[in-house]
Amino acid sequence: MRRPLSLALRLTLLFAIAASIVFPVFGWVISQSAERHFEAGDTNELNIIATAVEQALATDRAGDTLTPLQQRFDDILVGHHHASLAIITGDTAAIYTSPGPDLTSFIALDSNARDSTQPRLWVHKGHSYRALTRPIKPMTTPANSTYRMAVAVPIDHHLQFLTTFRQTLWLMIATGIVTMSLMGWLAVRQGHAPLRRMVTQIGRISANKLETRLTPTAVPYELAGLATSVNEMLDRITAAIHRLRDFNADIAHELRTPVSNLMTQSQVALSRPRTADQYREILGSNLEEYERLAQMVNDMLFIARTDNTLAIKNLSKFQLLDEVEALFDYYSAWAEERHISLAVNGDAVFTGDRLMLKRALNNLLSNAIRYSADGGTVQISLNLKGGETVQILVENSGKEIPGEHLPKLFDRFYRADPSRQQGAGTGLGLAIVQSIIKAHGGRITVTSNHGITRFQINLPQGPVSTDH
Amino acid sequence: MRILITEDETKTGDYLRQGLSEAGFVVELARNGRDGQHLAMTQTYDLIILDVMLPQLDGWSILRSLRDAGQQLPVLLLTARGDVDDRVKGLELGADDYLVKPFAFAELLARVRTLLRRAAAPVAETRLVVADLELDLMRRRVTRAGRRLALTAKEFNLLELFMRHQGEVLTRSLIASLVWDMNFNSDSNIIDVAIRRLRAKIDDDFEPKLIQTLRGMGYLLDVPNQV
Repeated sequence: MRRPLSLALRLTLLFAIAASIVFPVFGWVISQSAERHFEAGDTNELNIIATAVEQALATDRAGDTLTPLQQRFDDILVGHHHASLAIITGDTAAIYTSPGPDLTSFIALDSNARDSTQPRLWVHKGHSYRALTRPIKPMTTPANSTYRMAVAVPIDHHLQFLTTFRQTLWLMIATGIVTMSLMGWLAVRQGHAPLRRMVTQIGRISANKLETRLTPTAVPYELAGLATSVNEMLDRITAAIHRLRDFNADIAHELRTPVSNLMTQSQVALSRPRTADQYREILGSNLEEYERLAQMVNDMLFIARTDNTLAIKNLSKFQLLDEVEALFDYYSAWAEERHISLAVNGDAVFTGDRLMLKRALNNLLSNAIRYSADGGTVQISLNLKGGETVQILVENSGKEIPGEHLPKLFDRFYRADPSRQQGAGTGLGLAIVQSIIKAHGGRITVTSNHGITRFQINLPQGPVSTDH
Repeated sequence: MRILITEDETKTGDYLRQGLSEAGFVVELARNGRDGQHLAMTQTYDLIILDVMLPQLDGWSILRSLRDAGQQLPVLLLTARGDVDDRVKGLELGADDYLVKPFAFAELLARVRTLLRRAAAPVAETRLVVADLELDLMRRRVTRAGRRLALTAKEFNLLELFMRHQGEVLTRSLIASLVWDMNFNSDSNIIDVAIRRLRAKIDDDFEPKLIQTLRGMGYLLDVPNQV
């Protein structure tokens, strides 16, 4: 997977893109309005001249010679800088032309193009003009003869100005975009300062200094959630490390006794010659101890693996009753010898690791029988609660477990009765049960009163969630 | 019967060789993967015991090259890891059985014998006889000295296991696994109870006593003077 772009780069790019869109739009609008402004000014000037010409012709009723008129036209043009005027009759015959560009060619062009009186851009001999043609109807002329006038103002200087103006504008826009992007980058860097501080803070936390915590109220609101999550994660890691340390200490303690027994026994045995039978006896006794050690190691490995299980691998759907009956079959001889009755009621379908569940039930059942008084009862109930939770109860009659032991019963190597320290089992039976139940997303609790010790397991029936 | 052991751990290798030799097998020991593979490919054995974690060449590779070469002899894998994945991998590669360290030597022996028996042409037995004890597999009847004995179904299975493995030590965990399908550490005293009950039926009123206890190891069934 490719690494996502850095936040600073992302935000800077976003700023740059935003500026690149907004500024040019502004620039375009501004340059357009400048253009419109000049156009409007030119058009106005053209209209004024055209109107003045029309008025001059209208007031000339006598229809005499055109000479005074020419004078008038000249007067009209005074004050209109570089404006030129031409009046023609028919198609080409010029009645009046002012100095300046040859407007007759524009008239020809314009009347050919369309019958419009709107000003148009006209380029003539390398100069640009805004020009206008208009038909004239003098009172004195015969009805069939037509006159046209053409008015033009040069706009070279306007265009020149606009070009310079646009260049300046675009330069400013480019500078603006670069400045905005840079400022964006600076702002992002500045805005990320709390994040960097947090990273430094987290970086200082090591396995030996796990008690350091972030203060969610001392970071910006957006980071408070992250700080809280990191703290919670640290809590979990701390708890796990403490568990691990305790576990290591427990293991060392649990292994020390049998190993020391084995050493002493072997040393004593070797201290003087013995008969073959005696050696056999000693080796046999050692073997029993070894077996216990091996079992303890296997159990610990099983717990370690189960606790690290993210998802149950060997999922299958099975009837719990089948497993209970198989276990009853196994334990029946022992129970019978001690006149303990084994009973099961109910049934439930469960989806999970069949072998693990069987092992958990086995450990509970074995405990229940062991701690039942002779002649007592062991009762297993299987129920489906609310259609989703499978409830398993394992109850035995007999001596109650004092309340202070109950919360620690599932701890590794914890034995409620210290006199059973070297008794059967590895002290891991209930820890294994708990690991299995947790791996299946369930919960196990224990109560002991009125002469009944009851283990209660609640398991989600469906496929197991992976986090526990 | 020739057995090749490939095991790098010195003590384990020595004891396996000694134990299996004393059990009547001809044993060769390879102390690393290369030697093991060389011997396995060039010599003829009836069974190979293969440690998975080996220097130079691991057990998986040796097993694979054996099977690729079309060698179908039984292979028993030994490993210090009990992961289901490992087990599955071993069986997929064509291993015949799988033991997780630490294991009881008696259990290894029992499995070796079972594999060798399986590899030999299986004979469909209908009767098992040890001394004057007879087991009729077809009618599921047990008689001793001509007297019919009433056994429960599990007791019958237990006795059948003992008789099929006459003279072999069976550990409690192997018995629990084969008779009750209990494939994890469980109360071993349950097996003691079951054996006591079986003895009461087949041994208490008869001589010689056939089921013997081996301290720290397990039980075996045999005619006493043959032990």
